[in-house]
Amino acid sequence: MTLTVNGERREVPDVATIAELLDHFRIQHQAVGVLINGEVVGRGDFGTAPVREGDTLDIVRFVGGG
Amino acid sequence: MSGAFPVIRDADRVRRLAALPQVRPQALDRLRRAAVAVVGVGGLGTAAAPYLAAAGVGRLRLIDPDVVQETDLGRQILYGPADVGQPKVKAAAAALTAQAPATVVEVSTEALDAHNGRRLLEGVDVILDGLDEGRPRDFLNEYAVRTGTPVVFGGALGYEGQVVVVAPSGPCLHCLFGSVADAAADCAREGILGPLVGVVGALQAAEALKWVMGLGAPLRGRVLQIDLFAGATRVLSFAPRAHCPVCGGQGVPGARPAATSERNPHSPS
Repeated sequence: MTLTVNGERREVPDVATIAELLDHFRIQHQAVGVLINGEVVGRGDFGTAPVREGDTLDIVRFVGGG
Repeated sequence: MSGAFPVIRDADRVRRLAALPQVRPQALDRLRRAAVAVVGVGGLGTAAAPYLAAAGVGRLRLIDPDVVQETDLGRQILYGPADVGQPKVKAAAAALTAQAPATVVEVSTEALDAHNGRRLLEGVDVILDGLDEGRPRDFLNEYAVRTGTPVVFGGALGYEGQVVVVAPSGPCLHCLFGSVADAAADCAREGILGPLVGVVGALQAAEALKWVMGLGAPLRGRVLQIDLFAGATRVLSFAPRAHCPVCGGQGVPGARPAATSERNPHSPS
């Protein structure tokens, strides 16, 4: 499927949910922010929030050092 | 020795700041009256605090339980070899007082947490996050939501940094990230390029000064991301999340200090 991830068009294996997409990118689910088509998705909804062909996603991890 | 070291008057210190067309005398008064807490005087805090003192912030409250270590000297440029083993807040206070004698510097060697946080942050107008772990950041976010006190969050790890302001009329940190207690934060393991903390800390200082003076557009509801490896920056906007367990989707209460001007007259219209 084709998605726009962090501003870039990406071909990714078909995924059904945000959790699956994060796993595909090997991104931990802790302290990561995800917007799908501009809407924030809560971490508790990663496993159910659907990802559809053509969606725009922004994924940002919280940077903890200081 | 009178006359050997000229006394730098406040008016001279802020003259270049005051030359900005949006900075009116009342904005400088706000700075002089403002108290800013710098929670953590490691990489970010030591980069931010000198800019706050230099700009004429009236009161700085430094909060950090750590002592200066040799491994800090590669990026925490407020400290030198003579400070190793000293409490960071003590070494930082000495450097800041020498730099800006009119700024009152208060120090605490307590580790800020949910139990002492209210007391340590009493009377503070803006909080600058220089922490290197997630749990007290969760507390700072909750404190912002409860009290309407703005928090300028910053993070730096590896080559990657970010700044986000949690402040009145904007979303909270939890809206976007959930709890940040488990965020990657260990630069002993992941390493860090020294100037990164300077870049992020200076941006945080700028956001704190902007907030106090009511200048420009705060990074509120926006995450500024910096990738020094790629030489790239990105800004991501977000709104309060419905049912956010911290702010309930209402964001941070309160209002921003009245803006003196939203527009930069130097930028093309």
